[in-house]
Amino acid sequence: MKSAIGRFVAWRLCVAAAFVIAVAASAFLLVRLAPGDATTDLAMSRATPSAIEAARHRLGLDQSALAQLAQWVGGIARLDLGQSSRFGRPVAGLVGESVMNTAVLAVVALLIALAGIPLGILTGSRQHSLFARVIGALSLALVCCPPIIGTLALLFFGAATGWLSIAPGHLVLPALALALPLAAMLERLQSQAAAEALHAPDILAAAARGVPNGRLVWLHAGRHALRSVLGVAGIVMATLFSGSIVVETMAAWPGIGQLMLKALMSRDLYLVAGCAMAGAALLAVGNLLADLLRAALDPRVVRVS
Amino acid sequence: MSQAFRRRWSATFGISVLVGAVVIAVAGPWLAPHAPDEQFEDRAYAPPTRIHVFDSAGLHAPFVHPLVLVDRLARTYREDTSVRIPLVWLRHGLVSTTDPAQPLLLFGADPLGRDVFSRLLFGARLSLGVTFLGVLGALVIGAAIGALAGSAGGWTDGGLMLIADFLLALPGAYLVLVLRSALRQVLETWEVFALVALLFALAGWPHAARGVRAIIASERSREYAEAARAAGAGSWRVARQLLPAARGFLAVELILLIPALLVAEATISYLGLGFADVSGSWGVMLKDAENGRVVVDAPWMLAPAAAIFIIVLATQLVARARMAAGEIRW
Amino acid sequence: MSRKIEPRLAREWTSSPDGLTWIFKLQDGVTFSDGVPLTSADVVFTFRALFDPKLESALGSSLLIGGHPIQARALDAQTVSVIFPAAYAPGITLLDAVPILPEHKLRGALEAGTFRDAWSVTTPLNEIVGLGPFVIEEYIAGQRLVFARNPRFWRRDADGHTLPYLDRIELQFTPDQNTESLRLQAGQADLITDRVRFEDLAAFQDLERRKQITLHDAGVSVAPDMLWINLRPGAAAERPWLQREELRHAIAQAVNRATIVNTVFLGQAEEVAGPITSGHGEWFLPDLKAEAFDPAQAASLLASIGLKDRNGDGVLDDANGRTAAFTILTTKGNSVRERTAAVIQAQLGNVGLKVDVVPFDPGALIDQFNGGTYDAILFSVEYDSFDPARNPDFWLSSGPFHVWHIQQPKPATTWEASIDDLMRRQSSTIDSNQRHELFAEAQRQLARHAPVLCFAAPHVVIATSARVGGVTASVLNPPVLWNAESLYLMAGSSGAGR
Repeated sequence: MKSAIGRFVAWRLCVAAAFVIAVAASAFLLVRLAPGDATTDLAMSRATPSAIEAARHRLGLDQSALAQLAQWVGGIARLDLGQSSRFGRPVAGLVGESVMNTAVLAVVALLIALAGIPLGILTGSRQHSLFARVIGALSLALVCCPPIIGTLALLFFGAATGWLSIAPGHLVLPALALALPLAAMLERLQSQAAAEALHAPDILAAAARGVPNGRLVWLHAGRHALRSVLGVAGIVMATLFSGSIVVETMAAWPGIGQLMLKALMSRDLYLVAGCAMAGAALLAVGNLLADLLRAALDPRVVRVS
Repeated sequence: MSQAFRRRWSATFGISVLVGAVVIAVAGPWLAPHAPDEQFEDRAYAPPTRIHVFDSAGLHAPFVHPLVLVDRLARTYREDTSVRIPLVWLRHGLVSTTDPAQPLLLFGADPLGRDVFSRLLFGARLSLGVTFLGVLGALVIGAAIGALAGSAGGWTDGGLMLIADFLLALPGAYLVLVLRSALRQVLETWEVFALVALLFALAGWPHAARGVRAIIASERSREYAEAARAAGAGSWRVARQLLPAARGFLAVELILLIPALLVAEATISYLGLGFADVSGSWGVMLKDAENGRVVVDAPWMLAPAAAIFIIVLATQLVARARMAAGEIRW
Repeated sequence: MSRKIEPRLAREWTSSPDGLTWIFKLQDGVTFSDGVPLTSADVVFTFRALFDPKLESALGSSLLIGGHPIQARALDAQTVSVIFPAAYAPGITLLDAVPILPEHKLRGALEAGTFRDAWSVTTPLNEIVGLGPFVIEEYIAGQRLVFARNPRFWRRDADGHTLPYLDRIELQFTPDQNTESLRLQAGQADLITDRVRFEDLAAFQDLERRKQITLHDAGVSVAPDMLWINLRPGAAAERPWLQREELRHAIAQAVNRATIVNTVFLGQAEEVAGPITSGHGEWFLPDLKAEAFDPAQAASLLASIGLKDRNGDGVLDDANGRTAAFTILTTKGNSVRERTAAVIQAQLGNVGLKVDVVPFDPGALIDQFNGGTYDAILFSVEYDSFDPARNPDFWLSSGPFHVWHIQQPKPATTWEASIDDLMRRQSSTIDSNQRHELFAEAQRQLARHAPVLCFAAPHVVIATSARVGGVTASVLNPPVLWNAESLYLMAGSSGAGR
């Protein structure tokens, strides 16, 4: 069994690495082949043609796209992601800082979102109570608040009431904007699972023998909760990262999404590729962790893969 | 009230909202009282015009009072209650005032004194239109590729699904952003429309392809497919025969892709990579709502956010009803 | 605030009667931030570096007079003579922004040809020495720049206290105006570099009443947004009407300046006739009036260049029946400029001209500008001086910021030749009255041919937190930090300035 898990992890790591490289390379090629490049900014500082030519050479823009890509991929092995033309710093450092910020944001958002699980169990076990209906309606509303809408609503709420800081660099607002729709989704899923669990034959039998209903639900649902959450881990991860670009931009959180947007806007080739790579890596790591947890709970996953 | 009844009711509600939205998108130009880019003098951030039926003289047909600018810097206005301006129906759009200098601003005005209500109606065309076209494109491409992969099997299947999985694993917003920023920036509205729809189709097809492939692959082993293949039909012919089996799945996929792409339009336009300002798509309009302190005094700037919320809610209600009816699971 | 030049590093100076030779006496006891005394050799070295042809220094080229460098010679350790190559009216104000470089740190690099890279982001910070009130303590690209007081700064205030008052200034880079303004309101920042946005002004005045922030009115902007049409030959071969002077006057008359003042600037601006606003003080021509708002006159001007609605669709068409349309490029993320463009677009639409507005990132915009591949641009040119002679890049037809047709080998039109001549003469005329007259004539010529259209110049309002004292806001950049050494924090507050 151990070797099976080992092989599973090794295989998944290979797939993840290939995925990360493929994402970064496609971003690299797309930006490289698009019209305009990073030296267009230089023209602003009244640089002479020879200086621009030198900059193009320094940035490798005078080579063919494929040669440049090959060189860049070669650099990855040495952890050299190139130099950002916009910030004049190594991409690795810039991306490293931003990745940490995005990871913090994502983890905090995920923790807040997990609050949806116990809420879901509660509402699922008391489906027809007023409480369950109120929470259910609230969840439905929140599921319909994608990050861009959620952020605007929270900005408005914060400015109107003063209960929530809308000052830049505060974690709460972007984290809530990302977390609330996810929490609502988890609550809905868990509520449905708990309600179904109540009708499962083993639970009915146990209830018939006099085991208190509440305890049954929590035990049963608790066991299944993690699995159902892990089942949507892919959706959760993708939502977190898709949302981060707009949330980070709107709430001025210095994460990878914001950096990526800046890089795209200034055609900062290496930085775009670096951001794409970091984003893909975060995504891959998140999914891998989820898969490992799932495999730990259910060994069949390993065999199927 | 039974759950089934509530579900049915909410699905009906959802569908009516969606149908209503389509009607508004199509008929918007005839319903809107003003042009989306018409700027009214001294109406920056003007509040929604209040429609009255009562005043000190008693009951009247619906009328409005003229708006007077009190403080330009603070953007405060007051109504001149000594004058009544009657409303007319169906002359300029659905309803308008009889005084062109006193526009009817049902949802207030934006920073340039443009009518938010009219912009919302015209914007529905772009935002919903591009979403619809994108969804359609995604479903058509997805169904074709999914059917091809499912019926052909082997290397074709493996290769196509690898590409689909790769695209699926990318966060959609990034994909669309990179693609859009790689393209020319100066574009006509219709060019943006076509391009964004194409990008949406390219980003959205793997969702449909995955599901269609699974359905087709399981149908493939059935007798009629075996028979067709035995009769010498190529994989395309087989795929076409099998495709109807995926109809229910595609219907639900349609419902799920609408909110995703509607939000994607808002996002890329908000970030400045979508429609231009005059055209006034919902995402472009949201740009004016980012300054929280200003929006507190002018909450009507959030009208496009509310519109997006309502459409997303409607699709959720429909999707939930269909899921409850057993057509799909999460 | 005074617009006179004050003695700083140079204690006193004299000039020869022809204004060509200036003798400076340096302040005694001035040292660089590493303790090495300032001598005349450093001044001579600085000029050598600025005018080294291999370095292509942008600052150096802005200091050329008629294309020739200024000569500097050390007469003794504390005395420098500076010789101008030709008569130059602004005189030594030209030198007010020249940072004196430390010869002992940079000489090797200049001689080895590595001067350009001598001070970069990787240079140890204690190697970067200067004469200013602050030294760099920390720099993280894209995030922050921290200045610490230079303990060796030589200036003292009127009471003999050493300057600067502040121990540290931390500059944080923020992504946009919105974030900046929120930071100030949240008390996370003491100064913001951008002007206060007009839609925030009412709220800021409220905050000022509550003693959270202080507003400083710096006066009327000296860099109003300008709309210009690409006048390079061949830029609009398909649409010859685009380069006609009548079109520009039609635009000037079709756009209601009052609407821009009221809508975009919420009343906090002045209508202007040209790029020289009342903020320029002595150079402003109050009697030069903007063209009056007259859509009917604009329409007949357009008709005179063949633009008429030929197919009844409400939009003008050219002689070949094609819709008369052009695109205005402007910068993305600047709400004032985007809104100005939207108002212009709407008002030109009223006279039947179809205008598209495309907001670009500044880099991409400049790319289009330098490449000459655009119809029209709405942008502004920043000044570093009030004196028009210091801005030849804009006024002379050979200049890189002669925006409508840059870097002409020789003037393309007679009026540009005439403006060139007026500007050259006023630049070398010492008599102040004569200079003013010459420049007034150049302004009138510019207004007559309208290669750039200016509509409104806003009041520049700067906000600081309430605890910052010693602020003298300027319409020139940087609005507050130009006298960083005089800034202080009010009693009762603590912590370093941000």
